[in-house]
Amino acid sequence: MPILQCTRTPWNTAWHSVKPVRMHAEAPCDELIDRSGRIRPVWVPVISAVRDLGAPELERRCIALNHQMQMAAPFGATAARHYDPLPAPLTAAEFAVLEAGLQQRATLLGRMLEDIYGAQALLSGGKLPPALVLGNAHFQRSLHTRAPLTMPRLGLYAADVLRGPDGRFQLLRDHTGVIPGLGHALALRRLAAGTVPEFFRSGGLRSLRPTREMLVDHLQRHAQGGLVAVLSAGAANPAAARDMLDDALLARALGVLLIEPGDLATRHGALHMKTLSGLLHVATLIRGLSGIDLDPLEQGGRPVAGIPGAFGAIRAGVLNMLNAPGSAILETADLAGYIPPLFMEMLGSAPILPQAGADALGLASKAPFLSGGNLISRPLFFRLYAWHDGQGWQVLPGGIGLGLAEDSAPGAVAIKDVWVQEADEPQMFAGATPAEPVSRPAFLAAAHLPSRVADNLFWLGRSVERLEAAARLLLLALPRLESGTSLPRDVAERGLIARCLVQAGLLPEELAGGAVSGRLLRGTLARRRPMAGLLKEVARLVNAASERLSPSMLATVQFALHQAAEALSNEETALPTLLGFAATFAGIAAENMSRDGGWLFLEMGRRLERGETLARNLASLVAAPVERLEPGLALGIELADSVLSYDLRHAGILAPAPVLAMLLADPGNPRSLAYQCNALRSCLERLGADDDAEFARVLQQDAVNLAGVTAELKAPLEDIGARLRQLSDRVHRRFFTLLPEAHQLDDDEELEAAQ
Amino acid sequence: MTMKSWKPRSKNIMIYRLRHATTYEYAEPVVLGTHFMHLLPRERPGQTIREAQLDISPNPDSRRNETDHFGNATTTISLTTPHKEFIVSLSATVEVCQPSPPTPEDAPRWEAMAAYGLQDVSVAEFCLPSPLARPTGEIADYATLSFPPGRSALTGLLELNARIWQDMTYRGGVTNNATTAAQTLNSRVGVCQDYAHLMLACLRALGLPGRYVSGYLRTLPPAGQTKRRGADQSHAWISAWLGADTGWVDFDPTNNLLVRDEHVTLAWGRDFQDVSPLRGIILGGGRHSLQVNVDLEPVLT
Repeated sequence: MPILQCTRTPWNTAWHSVKPVRMHAEAPCDELIDRSGRIRPVWVPVISAVRDLGAPELERRCIALNHQMQMAAPFGATAARHYDPLPAPLTAAEFAVLEAGLQQRATLLGRMLEDIYGAQALLSGGKLPPALVLGNAHFQRSLHTRAPLTMPRLGLYAADVLRGPDGRFQLLRDHTGVIPGLGHALALRRLAAGTVPEFFRSGGLRSLRPTREMLVDHLQRHAQGGLVAVLSAGAANPAAARDMLDDALLARALGVLLIEPGDLATRHGALHMKTLSGLLHVATLIRGLSGIDLDPLEQGGRPVAGIPGAFGAIRAGVLNMLNAPGSAILETADLAGYIPPLFMEMLGSAPILPQAGADALGLASKAPFLSGGNLISRPLFFRLYAWHDGQGWQVLPGGIGLGLAEDSAPGAVAIKDVWVQEADEPQMFAGATPAEPVSRPAFLAAAHLPSRVADNLFWLGRSVERLEAAARLLLLALPRLESGTSLPRDVAERGLIARCLVQAGLLPEELAGGAVSGRLLRGTLARRRPMAGLLKEVARLVNAASERLSPSMLATVQFALHQAAEALSNEETALPTLLGFAATFAGIAAENMSRDGGWLFLEMGRRLERGETLARNLASLVAAPVERLEPGLALGIELADSVLSYDLRHAGILAPAPVLAMLLADPGNPRSLAYQCNALRSCLERLGADDDAEFARVLQQDAVNLAGVTAELKAPLEDIGARLRQLSDRVHRRFFTLLPEAHQLDDDEELEAAQ
Repeated sequence: MTMKSWKPRSKNIMIYRLRHATTYEYAEPVVLGTHFMHLLPRERPGQTIREAQLDISPNPDSRRNETDHFGNATTTISLTTPHKEFIVSLSATVEVCQPSPPTPEDAPRWEAMAAYGLQDVSVAEFCLPSPLARPTGEIADYATLSFPPGRSALTGLLELNARIWQDMTYRGGVTNNATTAAQTLNSRVGVCQDYAHLMLACLRALGLPGRYVSGYLRTLPPAGQTKRRGADQSHAWISAWLGADTGWVDFDPTNNLLVRDEHVTLAWGRDFQDVSPLRGIILGGGRHSLQVNVDLEPVLT
């Protein structure tokens, strides 16, 4: 039903006419309309805002909301779901029932879990069939400790709840392992408040902030100075990922790190994260991946896919996991039927939320969703969240509403924010309260930058520079190779260009021997597509480093990347577009990144690559007797994009000394060797790597001194290139390789030896 | 279930001196190593540990002794000093006095075991498939031959033990730690571990509880007997549950033995994966070589 049409007719009548009220008790309820056909008060402010905005504007807002979510997605993941700007409001009374229901159920499930991994009285007492528990794939023998861990095994809980035909809530399913959607539940409100502020004007909405802050406080306090982090599968292992977007949103909302198994190492029986300042103790992990096969030390399997030693650390109480591995056992369908009788048995009270029947989803209440500017009605269920604060269960006054396809096929097609009203008075509040203040994540020191991220940024810097240098070289090479004069100078120049192309990996060595023509180069490029390969590597690293790039920066870079990839097929525009991409990237890095942590590594990667390329090219270009230096010098100036400056200063007269001064020693030329060394020194000083900074300083000095030498430059330039590579290795060893890849000690050999 | 209470007919106490040394030699230094071991023998009815110790070189920075889900002793260590040699040596004195099992006539019928196993929390999981001892249709067919309806469980077990011993060819280096019972039934070749997995899968195909036992066999057989297979090395066999009164009785299909006083138990689980003696994650090391020495000798009393 189009909204425009609704604005002409009274809203409730229009809705009413499409969906006649049926008093039949077995028909699904409507969240929007009550049984007597009136809009429920809780919806009134939202619906009037919908009317005021109108269909086209609402559709634009909807697109904007989804776009913002997409920008928040890490690692280039696509936000798979549709985000609906319309909320799913609950009254204070409704929430009170749900809150009590969740607290009761979480209490029971927590106790069941402690028993299953503790005394197993439920099993020996016949309340749970031993074979169903012990034969369950989620039962983690390694964590059957017979005694409690330092924190409850169930620390976070989510329940899927639906409203049945009688208007009462029913429990659809539990989430006790990985808690899906908590990141969305904490983030959606803020994004929606920014895109559809009109919905929030009437106020009276319970803020998520106090609960979130209490949760953060609880986690940090318990961690006692150790790190708290969200453990995600990471870009390296997307197959194990549940919902990396949700992991990223959760980490951001709680102001904690997002880490992956590869960032972690066990030392002295406890877990540590490798950071730029060394290994830091990790005290608490919010688990975003399955607890099955999590510890290759105890369970076998590839070390990179899990965290060797994690189970031992949990048992020893030096690592807390929310939730403990093996907690997903209570989610399994086999056991669901055994839970309801236990309320009386273990808590002495009947369940507040009855368990939904098998066909309940078909009778779930319906709620309005936006679709192409129109309101459509979809079956809906709620996902609500609770956490254990050490004493009892706190329930988040919010959550997510999941819209199903009209045929109630499983799998949500749309997600919306769940609102909880402050009180049940009518929604005519004066004065708007900001719906949800922008969250400020706790400060993360640059020193806490995970080595993996620094490593990725370093290579991103290198790969963008490599792309730029290759584009620049080809732009210069193609026209010159096309002009086929046989003048000695041109022949010499073509030889030098071929040399540089080979060194840059753009032309195979075996093709560079004879006369390299433009046609040959074009053919080679078309066949081997080196630029596409370089661009792909840049894209990969942008994704891998995305968590340190702001959403707007990421969006701009990705847009530019996309354009560059599109342009590749067009011979005329490909190279200028690639140079444009490199310039965009450099500009964004210069203007949008703070000069700490991540940026320093991006910068070092770029400077090292540029320095090495310059030293390598110059070494080839000046490998000629002094009287034949001119073509090489001209190319050197051009490759370094310094033609204009040189002409201005030296009136276009090419002589070795001023050219070398400009390319090697000029501290103000961002493409000189001295400039690269100086930039490297400054980065290293800021990172506290004093000996490496000194190494860079000496290198700069030598580069400057080299400008005074005119004879035999090849060897000293090659030496400078080698030392830059050495510096790169030193940076690697110092910052990235605290944890080389571990491997499993092959116990097959033990068996062979034993037989 | 009513069952005649069964009393041991003989009580031969054997005292063993056990030594098990594992030595890894690495081509390159290992800079970090974390190891998880099932290398300390556990107590069980009929086995008492008088003393046991695990010497580790180089000296670990941290060491944690724990008891796992099955009640086995585990040791987790971390090594942070670079080393090219890693040695774990177990030395223990163990008292063994396995009660002799009931006579076949006294043992319950196998169907009773299958019916009750799943109800008992300490037995249930051993009736269920595990990764390396998972029943298949072929395995069930193979197993059923020894368990016609109404037969005493003990008779069936002894026969199955003998059949596996007969049908299999003992050969090292053909199978590995990932070889399953189904593969073994197919190839009919393997080592003690494969014999045990096959027998376990047979039991589980019938719903009978069976567990994998790792341990050692005395180096020299009792006077006048043939040299056993699997002596001088880590050994494995199975344990079958014969009801609440009798409890667990061990069978060694590799040697067609009913386990009495020649075996020392290290640990048990559903299959090898639960009791892998030594696992590790190392950094560095390059290629490595491994040497294992086992000695299990009776102490003269």
